[in-house]
Amino acid sequence: MAGDPYADLGLTRSASEAEIKKAYRKIAKTDHPDLNPDPAATQRFKAASAAYDLLKDPEQRRRFDAGEIDEQGHERPQRRYYRDHAEAAGNPYAQNYGFEGDPDLSDVFSDLFGRRAAGGFGQGFRQEGGREFHMRGQDYRFALEVDFMTAARGGKTRISLPEGGDLEVTIPRGVRDGQTIRLKGKGGAGMGQGGPGDAYLTVSVAPHPDFRREGDDIFLTLPITLDEAVLGAKVAAPTVDGPVNLTIPRGATTGQKLRLRGRGINGGDQQVELKIVMPPKVDGDLAKFMEEWRKSHGYDPRRGMTI
Amino acid sequence: MSRYYTETEVIAMVEELTRPRLRRYCRARIVQPVTTPDGPGFREADLARLQLLCDLADCHNLPEDGLRMVMSLIDQLNTARGDMRALMQAVAAEPDEVRIRIHRSIRGRRG
Repeated sequence: MAGDPYADLGLTRSASEAEIKKAYRKIAKTDHPDLNPDPAATQRFKAASAAYDLLKDPEQRRRFDAGEIDEQGHERPQRRYYRDHAEAAGNPYAQNYGFEGDPDLSDVFSDLFGRRAAGGFGQGFRQEGGREFHMRGQDYRFALEVDFMTAARGGKTRISLPEGGDLEVTIPRGVRDGQTIRLKGKGGAGMGQGGPGDAYLTVSVAPHPDFRREGDDIFLTLPITLDEAVLGAKVAAPTVDGPVNLTIPRGATTGQKLRLRGRGINGGDQQVELKIVMPPKVDGDLAKFMEEWRKSHGYDPRRGMTI
Repeated sequence: MSRYYTETEVIAMVEELTRPRLRRYCRARIVQPVTTPDGPGFREADLARLQLLCDLADCHNLPEDGLRMVMSLIDQLNTARGDMRALMQAVAAEPDEVRIRIHRSIRGRRG
């Protein structure tokens, strides 16, 4: 094998000095060009004698094993790794990697690392002039609990700041649970010419007893009476923006879903699931009517179920 | 969001993508879909990645070897960028004295 003198002698790296000598003699005996006219034998002999020349000297062998010289005994040039240069400060090829134009973090970035010339291939970092010290103010991070309706409709609330005083916060319409609101410049004061930091509010939306939200759609279970279900009706259904008239179709049933288009959040829909609720007490009239009715109108809603 | 797209869906959604091309990228492990009972499942991230792969391959005439290397570099850069973002957000929310210390230390090392 080219490049491996041990293989040329049919050995591995663990071979002893005596084994190296023995292996070379064995090849010399069979493959010497003066004895064996086969060109392949000549090749084997050449390779083996070159390998033997290298490995017979213990110091040379050590240097080869350590990678300091190659199989021909030449000094190996020191390998250069670009990363050593690329990571270093002042690398002439240093480039931006996306924070310079970042709406939230560009100030934080340039505060920590200075500004690189745009588009890369600049001269590394700009030196800070003089002795004065400039630093952007601290970012504040708060958790803000918002009730369901305020989150759905938007609104205003006040938060108190760690350094005293309070701050009016506008909650955008349709804010989602876990969403962050950024209040630019409402963080701590900067130093020198550094601007103030920002305040970040992570919103958690409290659940509502009746409404449930998925994305921009609102889900509501609407109780209806027995007679509304049988005869159909127009009832007022609550939505996040106030009650809306909803037509219950004749013969409506529990679990039936009606859609109020555009009555969700930011153009989403509200889905109403109907739920028939019995009167608080089944009176004699109702019981009597049902007894008569079922004699001739019995039906089996459980048909097809495997019970 | 754990919605997975099938091979056919992905091919319909990503322009320039053909079935042999998708299979090639998967075989080369440049794209690594999730194994599902119905075959490979592609995530939203896979879709975006395939779009980028097609753009890179076509606009820059990149063969598969080169593509694999470029994607590896892009992945490394974006991972570093995500880590960096988290670190900067954490630093920015620290009180002044901590940030001054960090600021000086970084300026000392980075120029």
